[in-house]
Amino acid sequence: MISKKQLRSGATLFSLLVAGCASNVTVENPTIPEPHVEKLPLDVAVRIPAEFHDFVHEENVLGRETWTISLGAANAAFFTQLFGYMFDNVTVLGPDDNAKDYTFDALIEPQIEGFEFSVPNQSKTDAFAVWIRYRMQIYDSAGNSASTWTVSAYGKSQKEGLGGSKSLQRAAVLAMRDAAALILLQMNKATKIAALADGPIDISELETLAAADNESLGGSAGTVGIFAIGGIDDNGE
Amino acid sequence: MITANKVLMISLAAFSLEGCITARVENAREETTGLLAGETVVVMAKSYHQGNETEADYIRCVEKALGRGKGALSVIHNQNFIDNLFPWFEPRTAPADTKGLVSLMARPGVPEAVRNMGVRYIVWLDGGTSRVTQGGSLSCAAGPGGGGCFGFAWWQDNADYEASIWDLDDSENAGTVTADYNGTSFLPALVVPIPLIARTQSKACNGLATQLKSFIVSDEAI
Repeated sequence: MISKKQLRSGATLFSLLVAGCASNVTVENPTIPEPHVEKLPLDVAVRIPAEFHDFVHEENVLGRETWTISLGAANAAFFTQLFGYMFDNVTVLGPDDNAKDYTFDALIEPQIEGFEFSVPNQSKTDAFAVWIRYRMQIYDSAGNSASTWTVSAYGKSQKEGLGGSKSLQRAAVLAMRDAAALILLQMNKATKIAALADGPIDISELETLAAADNESLGGSAGTVGIFAIGGIDDNGE
Repeated sequence: MITANKVLMISLAAFSLEGCITARVENAREETTGLLAGETVVVMAKSYHQGNETEADYIRCVEKALGRGKGALSVIHNQNFIDNLFPWFEPRTAPADTKGLVSLMARPGVPEAVRNMGVRYIVWLDGGTSRVTQGGSLSCAAGPGGGGCFGFAWWQDNADYEASIWDLDDSENAGTVTADYNGTSFLPALVVPIPLIARTQSKACNGLATQLKSFIVSDEAI
């Protein structure tokens, strides 16, 4: 008969084996350097949704290894820093804050629409890669939805060391940095956010804007279309 | 009978041997170069957004090799350069050609940041090292009385890199240096494996760096 002690030892060994097939990656406080771009003269409120603040991605790779990647608070802090560099004034709202209690020209609500990654076993290369798809929802001071912009970001890091957690973490940080570069250089062109400094948008323009958004910015293909990789779009500002 | 000392000596002798490497390093000059006191060089990888696979350790190796030995250049670490010019040299935003560089150097704050770092040349690296072919077989066994290996394995690596040198003084392409190294490694084993490793990537790094040094400081006219 199996004693309680044997059962406990067996359970401990089993949990150790299971833990051996799982990797946890936590992205901790990535930052960006101060950018060489001019700030937009805008008072902006940034509302960080709870699911953005606590974002965790879990995936089982080829039925062998479970990866858990937590962007969480780092992501929220990263975007707060980014918007601080982009706009004259930034107010960060919590998920429970009522936007009507604040005065601003524009309200930005970032969301993570998709997160994917690949490990060397899958890609048959030495690299970890991360794709993050952010969705930037922009409202005017009256609460009308002014624009929606999808930002597709990519980061790649070569495997270093035995594990891979550090490399995946670096790939995630590079993807966030890629998103930051794209947002810094193209947000105004894609969303016309600077125009909101003149007041809320005309309601009659909303449908036209929404149609234009769907045509030119709907999905990642639209995003790539307005920003060629490997250079600067001179018409972009 | 082979003693432990003999095994050690054979192993040390084997590690001092290398596999075979064939090398070809060439440069194509488009304009005269030169480096004044206080001017530095930065080594960058072409963007992975464009499919470039240059290894991070190769970039580090070239950086180090340029900065040491005879004719050492002053090299600024590429992450410092990228951070100081954020967001203009990110993998997505870095200029793909000198036309893009001209536009970039016209942006407010960019020429000043470049000048503050003293960067005169950007060396863009493209390429990688790959296993071309391999063969043979090697098996090892161990038992209570000892162990050993028997067999013969070999493999061939190809390190193919291209460095484009951009002169930030006039935003022109100064030229390119290419390094193509083929290395064949052998691993014969008769009880003790004797590795004859061709350090292809490392040799390609040193070869390219040596050529880059002479290319950059040369006052050779076109």
